[in-house]
Amino acid sequence: MYRTATKRLLLLRAPSGSNINIKTKARLRFPFLLPHHQNIDNNTCRFSSTSEIPQSSPNQTFNPNPNQHSTSTSTAEEARPQETQRKRRYVEYEDEQARVLQASLPHVVRLGWTEAAMIAGARAVGVSPSIIGSFPRKEAALVEFFMDDCLQRLIDRIDSGEELKSTIPSDHISTLIRFRLEMQAPYISKWPQALSIQAQPLNVPTSFKQRAMLVDEIWHAVGDEASDIDWYVKRTVLGGIYSTTEIYMLTDSSPGLSSLLWSSNLSLFLNK
Amino acid sequence: FKEVHEEEKSRLVGNVFSSVASSYDLMNDIMSVGLHRLWKDRLVSKLNPFPGMKHLDVAGGTGDVAFRILETLNSVKRRATQDVLEDNLHEKTQIIVCDINPNMLNVGKKRAMERGLGEDKSLIWVEGDAEALKFEDNSLDGYTIVFGIRNVTHIEKVLAEAYRVLKQGGRFLCLELSHVEVPVFKELYDYYSFSVIPAVGELVAGDRNSYQYLVESIRCFPSQETFASMIAAAGFQKVEYENLVGGVVAIHSGLKF
Repeated sequence: MYRTATKRLLLLRAPSGSNINIKTKARLRFPFLLPHHQNIDNNTCRFSSTSEIPQSSPNQTFNPNPNQHSTSTSTAEEARPQETQRKRRYVEYEDEQARVLQASLPHVVRLGWTEAAMIAGARAVGVSPSIIGSFPRKEAALVEFFMDDCLQRLIDRIDSGEELKSTIPSDHISTLIRFRLEMQAPYISKWPQALSIQAQPLNVPTSFKQRAMLVDEIWHAVGDEASDIDWYVKRTVLGGIYSTTEIYMLTDSSPGLSSLLWSSNLSLFLNK
Repeated sequence: FKEVHEEEKSRLVGNVFSSVASSYDLMNDIMSVGLHRLWKDRLVSKLNPFPGMKHLDVAGGTGDVAFRILETLNSVKRRATQDVLEDNLHEKTQIIVCDINPNMLNVGKKRAMERGLGEDKSLIWVEGDAEALKFEDNSLDGYTIVFGIRNVTHIEKVLAEAYRVLKQGGRFLCLELSHVEVPVFKELYDYYSFSVIPAVGELVAGDRNSYQYLVESIRCFPSQETFASMIAAAGFQKVEYENLVGGVVAIHSGLKF
């Protein structure tokens, strides 16, 4: 996941004693015993970063890009004297990756959640499509980015408070779910493909985690203070309701989302 | 281990490859028990080629990697439903094989004909030095070097050149024999390298010294971590490596921005 608050990257430092101040970012893969044997655990510790203060040196020509994420990441910096003339705009690769994915989203409607959409996105941003090879699970990266983006938008909306002011408390949950699902409405024609990508065994851990976060966020916004078994029950139930509504949305062929959808959702809650 | 001066190294390497060119592929098969094919397959799948790609394979003399890339692209193309990028990107694909040794290139060209790729306009053979490439800055989507970086005299120069010629978003991939740290396996591997390989080299290629050089050069090559930091020092980001067969080979990759 690209934009969650828990990101840690393993940092690799160049051997000390050199007059070059280099801090590099490198991620180590787990050793492979045979080709084609993937270590799935790799994914869970991949997206994490620790905040670090970059060391300054007299020959430094650029500063790390201001980071839009909540934790800062340290960057690879070259401070060689002969490099000072080459004023290179330093770009973090994750930002670039996020940019490419963001640019790919408009193409999804036409091309689906596929590499073709990502290639088009990369071209649109002006970056070589080879970057797609660096996404470990390609299409899944695009879907996950979209899910994270939606979650972020939901959180922003909740924080700004508007969403919940106008509705009665018992309607909060369905309002939030409605808001969240409406974000998917533009992509509804290709959403089944996204769901199938999320359901693939390799992608299940991440997609499950994203949905868990989503459900947790909604309960938290509603002011839930449950503990022990209740916590799990509530989230599981909401997860189920969310998923069924989502799937029902796929079958809904009316332009715009029908009120039937939402009223059925509401009734599920009232019965709860 | 034989001591070799820098200036000598390129001459010696030149001699090695001139003499082994014709049996290079056969020796690869024997030494790696056919595994090198799987390793190269893995490399190409990591590269994730796309139509319209401009790719450079350095020290790729006999063309293994280039053929695999072309075959991946051609098979993808035949999946007609995938061909949604309407423009004729396929014609713009360029896979360039660069090697310092003309004998290796000739062997490669012959093999291309045998595989039916002799007429493929995307495949270009160029003689050149990895430390001083004749390509423009920011012109290539991908750069691979397979079992070649061990043989260059100045690794940093090669990495710097690779960085220079790649576009924004371009990927660098390197497949190379590397260090094994797994306890028991390490001893077996050492025994295999120092006793078996030069003997087989003598039998098959008639050249014990070249293969002795090969085995020693593997030991002298930097470890996975050191090499990764060298790649990062050249400016690449997201530097990662993947060990295959416990470290016998490693695929290092980096992104340019």
